[in-house]
Amino acid sequence: MGIENLAEKAQILIRSRLCSPNFIFKPLSDSSDSNYSKLKFIISSSIMEACNNSILLLGPRGSGKVAVLELVLSDLLEEYPDTITVIRLNGLLHSEDNSALKEIARQLCMEHHLLFSKMASFDDNSQFMIAMLRECGLAHKTVIFTLDEFDLFAQGKQRLLYSLLDAMQTVTSQAVVVGVSCRLDADQLLEKRVRSRFSHRKLLFLPPSKEDVQRLLEHILSLPMDSSLACDYAAEFNEKLQSILADKRFKEIISNYLNSNSTTNHLLRFLFIAISNMELKSGFLSLENFKAALSSIQRHPKQECIKDCSILELYILVCMKRLEVREQNSYNFSSVMKEYKSVHDSFPTSDYYAQNVCLRAFEHLLQRELICFTDNRGHSQSIEFRQVKLVVSYAELQEGLKSYRSCPAILLKLIDR
Amino acid sequence: MASKKKAAKTDKMSGKKRVYYKKVVYDGGEFEVGDDVYVKRREDANSDDEIPELEECRVCFKAGKAVMVECDDCLGGFHLKCLKPPLKVVPEGDWICGFCEARKLGREVQLPRPPPGKKLARTLRDKLLSSDLWAAHIESIWKEADDSYWFRGQWYTIPEETSAGRQPHNLRRELYQTNDFADIEMESIIRHCYVMNPKEYAKAHDEGDDIFMCEYEYDIQWHSFKRLADIDNGDEEGDDSDIDEDWKSSKDAESDTDEDVEYEEEKVKNLQSRASSAHELAANSRKGKFFGLQKIGTKRIPEHVRCHKQTELEKAKAALVLAKLPKSLPCRNKEMEEISAFVKGAICDNQCLGRCLYIHGVPGTGKTMSVLAVMRNLKSEVDAGSIRPYCFVDVNGLKLASPENIYRVIYEALTGHRVSWKKALHLLNERFSEGKRNGKEDDRPCILLIDELDLLVTRNQSVLYNILDWPTKPHSKLIVIGIANTMDLPEKLLPRISSRIDAFEKQAIEFASRKVAAISGDARRALEICRRAAEIADYHIKKLSSNHNPAPEGKGLVGMSAVEAAIHEMFQAPHIQVMRSCSKLSKIFLAAMVYELYKTGMAETSFEKLAMTVSCICTSNAEAFPGWDILLKVGCMLGESRIILCEPGARHSLQKLQLNFPSDDVSFALKDSKEIPWLAKYL
Repeated sequence: MGIENLAEKAQILIRSRLCSPNFIFKPLSDSSDSNYSKLKFIISSSIMEACNNSILLLGPRGSGKVAVLELVLSDLLEEYPDTITVIRLNGLLHSEDNSALKEIARQLCMEHHLLFSKMASFDDNSQFMIAMLRECGLAHKTVIFTLDEFDLFAQGKQRLLYSLLDAMQTVTSQAVVVGVSCRLDADQLLEKRVRSRFSHRKLLFLPPSKEDVQRLLEHILSLPMDSSLACDYAAEFNEKLQSILADKRFKEIISNYLNSNSTTNHLLRFLFIAISNMELKSGFLSLENFKAALSSIQRHPKQECIKDCSILELYILVCMKRLEVREQNSYNFSSVMKEYKSVHDSFPTSDYYAQNVCLRAFEHLLQRELICFTDNRGHSQSIEFRQVKLVVSYAELQEGLKSYRSCPAILLKLIDR
Repeated sequence: MASKKKAAKTDKMSGKKRVYYKKVVYDGGEFEVGDDVYVKRREDANSDDEIPELEECRVCFKAGKAVMVECDDCLGGFHLKCLKPPLKVVPEGDWICGFCEARKLGREVQLPRPPPGKKLARTLRDKLLSSDLWAAHIESIWKEADDSYWFRGQWYTIPEETSAGRQPHNLRRELYQTNDFADIEMESIIRHCYVMNPKEYAKAHDEGDDIFMCEYEYDIQWHSFKRLADIDNGDEEGDDSDIDEDWKSSKDAESDTDEDVEYEEEKVKNLQSRASSAHELAANSRKGKFFGLQKIGTKRIPEHVRCHKQTELEKAKAALVLAKLPKSLPCRNKEMEEISAFVKGAICDNQCLGRCLYIHGVPGTGKTMSVLAVMRNLKSEVDAGSIRPYCFVDVNGLKLASPENIYRVIYEALTGHRVSWKKALHLLNERFSEGKRNGKEDDRPCILLIDELDLLVTRNQSVLYNILDWPTKPHSKLIVIGIANTMDLPEKLLPRISSRIDAFEKQAIEFASRKVAAISGDARRALEICRRAAEIADYHIKKLSSNHNPAPEGKGLVGMSAVEAAIHEMFQAPHIQVMRSCSKLSKIFLAAMVYELYKTGMAETSFEKLAMTVSCICTSNAEAFPGWDILLKVGCMLGESRIILCEPGARHSLQKLQLNFPSDDVSFALKDSKEIPWLAKYL
């Protein structure tokens, strides 16, 4: 088997690992104060003791809230086969009470092989849900509701949350409500009577610490030493990997990358690009792969946008900048044109265009969101007379001009003054 | 045979029709609807065998009158004096005989042989448990046209006959109730047996040999088990059962027990035909009649629910569950007395004027619970006959799709018909304002309990107006009890309604938000804290015992630390922890926000200004400035978790930002960060 073949296999293996949350979060869940074991304990004890519970999982995006929840649910489904019904809702899809209840009824029907009617009213569905909760409780079945984007359910009158949490106040029902939200103040959004019925269990998900990141890197990137890949290849691969991981430059890259956002998901995205950059010919990871990944992921879209502008567009941007520097806070296309003309009068160059050409360039800038209208009103007005504002900042503009390949010297002069 | 029959009541009906009885004396035994009986399995069963009334002792093989104790394993009976060593009294709790104990230890056991010539007599219980007999629950008794007596029975089954077979956690005397019914001739009844629910069964001591325990229902079609509903929630009734019991009790009051009720044959047929077509109908439509729910049930009763010895902590947790409504509400006696005095006063008046009552208070102080407790007490008084029957309708404002729907719900609860809300409003108006009654049933006073009353406020407030207006009408016989947690409902209302509220403002009960717990006035919260504390303690103990195999016993107490952790978890916002663990740039970002705040004194800042500050901070501390776009992303991340409030990121440099927490919190969280020690100077 050629080395390329092996390398491809290794690449596929690591990529599939990166895409499966189960693999990523399994090793972090052993210790007793991990969120995994806490969450599992809460849910399994409410299954065992036939009681109701409600939990909130909080934490920044990408910190693995849903991944851990899914891990716990899949473990529990294995542990207690056919005593658990999982109802999954997402705030982005079902934040409206009516559709949420309909979805609950649909999933309950699916799960228990009942016939579902789309025509059922809000009342019907809510009564059905309560009846089902009761029946499931009598049959020792636990219903687990997972509400992703929990904060979005807390809009309006919160009928869904109220009826859900109120149904859980009876002895016969046996349900767990798990809310997932990236808003730390999600429980404060609940109305008083809803909050009173909520159990207020909270689990906080934090980004991994430095040691955890190191462990995670090793766990993900090193190849297994069993027979699935050639043993000597795997050994060599792991050896090279170890030397990379120990390298100071590599540590710098990682810490530079994680400076902006240290969540697990963010790290995985980086690793995926690095793995895809792996050279199949040599068959091993190298530091270059990680460097390339870093530069390809850390982009500056606005600055790159400026790089793509035409000279005329740059003129318009600079003119707007000059207007703003002069504390002229409300201006429109006509006043920009006036400035453009005055600039051109004092520094005549060949870059002078007619007004309709400038308008075209102006529209182009609007589309690229380098400038924007100050208000959303006045759609009926033509573009020339609507007030605009610069979206890119002074520093970005300057930076952009400097890196522009053939920037007229006059522009740089104009912006500095 | 015919001469033996003696019906309790003579046949009044014409010969063609069936005559139903509540109680029948047959073959020397009295059989009532609701009794459990042994039923012969086959016609040719050896019923001629003498059936011993008393069980024989397994040691001396005599029945005798001496006290016997029963082994909980093999169900064999033993005379106290025949045991070795003999017992003086029947032991408390479970008792297992010496033979079973020895068998469990793996020893060969020689059971005492009966004396030669004497067959070991089998009692009915033995026969039932070895499926030579059947047991059934009498649903109804009637006499056919040809003078034979029949009854409709609901079968019981033994664990061995279910699809799951006998499971290790099944008790010896356990039966399952099935959903299988059959019409059986009274002839085949042998005698009474007693099937009890687990609570009664646990209390039963010497009721004889024919007692059984039944906790589950077995579905013969789907082969699934379900707990019997009336065991667990015996003390909390739904509104529909209220109406049912009203009906029964009122009948009971005016007639003697041996009353014959005649059913329409067709009704029964209708029921059956509907059941057969059930699976074609959607499960979630048709209020009150959900089809297919019988499908739900466990195939096998999970072991953990049966033979689970609870630890002290688990017991505590179970007792603290919110759903466990306490039997008595401490420190709500005064309020409850006032409510019950109010309701009694309203319904006992002969002309029964309508009245209103408005109860308000902080959530979780037991408003709804007190009213429901009062209503329970009143119902028991109705059953006792000291109060006239009334109807009770319970509506929750938050569970209505729209405020107008309340008419429909009320009308449906009163009459059982479903109409549109406009029609319902019309009919209710007829009933309450014009005093039009179309039946005897309608003549009762009606108590309407509206939970979350404030949700019924509409723009023109017609719903509230109508509901509060009806009681003032002379013939309404309507009593409205409103519950809400807003104190200012009267102020929210338009003048014409608030004038009406004045009429009962005097009677309105002030539910002061008592300090149930020191931390919050909410009883639910206090209970939840305790439950969570118990959970935390339990978690730690279980972890400890799984790590070190010899479990440290006796440490099962909820310590102060657990309570503190629970309170901490419940009341402390997690933002400080998140700020501490967030990425480096986010920390710098937050510090810059605080710096900006002190510098300008303005809470709100724009992204452009902030980015300038960040770049200044970075350059003066030899830190690489990451660039605007990355900084913007960092800001949006913080905005997502609401540590700062910000506009959408598309606004870029125009984006407005503001801290969502006091700047002191940020300083506290970031002051001693090891990663970036220089951050402290900007805080």
